[in-house]
Amino acid sequence: MRFNPKLTVLASLVACACATISPQANQQLEEARAAYRAAAADPAVQASAAAELKSAQDALQDAERMAEKGEPSELIEHNAYLAEQRSRIALRTADIRRSEASIAAAGEERRRLQLEAREREAAAAREQAQQAQMQAQQSELARKEAESRASQLENARIETEKQSTARAELGAELKRLESELADMRAKQTDRGWILTLKNELLFDAGGATLKPGAQRALDNLAQFLTKYPDRDIAIEGFTDSTGTKELNQQLSEKRAWSVKAALVARGIQSTRIDARGYGPSFPVASNETPTGRQLNRRVEIVIDPSSASGGSSRK
Amino acid sequence: MIRKTLVPLAVLALAACATTDPPEREMGAARAMVSQARPVAAQDAPQQLAEAQQKLTRAEAAMQRGHYEHARILAEQAEADAKLAWTVAQNVRVQRSAAEVQDGTRALREEMERKGR
Repeated sequence: MRFNPKLTVLASLVACACATISPQANQQLEEARAAYRAAAADPAVQASAAAELKSAQDALQDAERMAEKGEPSELIEHNAYLAEQRSRIALRTADIRRSEASIAAAGEERRRLQLEAREREAAAAREQAQQAQMQAQQSELARKEAESRASQLENARIETEKQSTARAELGAELKRLESELADMRAKQTDRGWILTLKNELLFDAGGATLKPGAQRALDNLAQFLTKYPDRDIAIEGFTDSTGTKELNQQLSEKRAWSVKAALVARGIQSTRIDARGYGPSFPVASNETPTGRQLNRRVEIVIDPSSASGGSSRK
Repeated sequence: MIRKTLVPLAVLALAACATTDPPEREMGAARAMVSQARPVAAQDAPQQLAEAQQKLTRAEAAMQRGHYEHARILAEQAEADAKLAWTVAQNVRVQRSAAEVQDGTRALREEMERKGR
C-alpha cells in the first residue's frame, strides 16, 4: 500500500461532502419536482390526499436539502424517488375520491329516478283508479236512469190500465143503472158518460117538485155517486119549445136544482154537483112531434164533466 | 492496526446521514404494504406490484447480509411502490364501478324518458 490509510479516509470524507450529484440523482430530482408540482396543482389532491401530498413534499425537501449539502447521490435519488412515487399516489388517491364521488352522485340520481318512476307509476295507478271509479259511477248512473225510466213506463202502464179498468167499470155500472131504470139512458159521448132521464119520470108537467116515483132513480144515482166519490157531475135541465123561453129556462133550472137537492139530501157533497138549466136549447129531437118533444124534455147527468175532453159546460 | 480500525470508519462516514441499526420498522411497513397490495394489484397494476415485490426481496437479502442502510432504502421504495400499485389498482376498480353505475343510471334515465313520452 502506497497510500496513507489516513489519507484514504480523509479523501472519502471529502468525496462525501463535496461529491457532485450523479446524473441519475439529478434526473430523479427533476422528475420528483415535476410530479410534485402536478400533484400540488390539483385542488382535489389538496382536498382529499393532503397527507400523501405532505409526505411527498417532505421527501422532496429532504432530497433538495441533501443536494444542497452535497450528500450522497444515492440518498438524494432515493428521497427524490420517494417524493415522485408519493406524488403519484396522491394524484391517484384524488382520482379515486373523484370516482367515488361520481358513484355516489350516480347512485343518488338512480335513487331519484327510481323514486320518480315509482311516483309516476303511483300517479298512473291513481288516475286509472279514478277513471275506473268515474266509469263505474257513470254506468251506475246510467243503470239507475234506465231503471227509473223503466219504472216510470211501468207506472204509466199500470196507471193507464187502472184508468181503463176504472172507465170500463164506470161504463158497466152505468149500463147496470140503465137496465134497472126503464126511463134512463146511459151513453158515452165526447163529454164522457151522460145519463138521460125523461122529465115524465121525475116531475109532473110544468112543475119542479120531484115525484115519489123518482125516488128509485135518485137512490140509484146517489148510490152510484157514493161508489165513485172522486167523480163530479153536472145536472143539466132541458125543456121542449112549447111556451115562453123564459118560463122554460126557469123551469129547467128549477128542475136541475131539485135533482141536486135530492142528491145532497142523500148524502152527496153539494160541491160535487153543478146544476144548470138550458131551457129549450140543445134539443135532441124535433119539437114538431109529440115524441120528439117528449125526448127533448129531459134531465142530463154528465158524469165527471171536468175530466171529459169537451169541458164542463156546454158550448 | 490503524488501517483495520479506519476502514470501518470510512464505511460509517459514507453512511453518515443514516442509522446503522437494522431498519425493522421500514421492513415491516414494506412487507405489510406489499401484502396489502398483492391481491388488489395482481390484476390491475401488475407492473408496479412486481417492482415493489422485487425491491422487498432485495431488501430482505440486504438485511441478511447486514447491509442495513441499503435495506432501508429498498424497503422504503418497496413500500412506496406497493402503495402506488395498490392505489393504481384501486383507482382502476373504482373507475370501473363508476362507469357501471353511470351506465345503469343512464339506461334507467333513457327508459324513463321513453316511458314518459
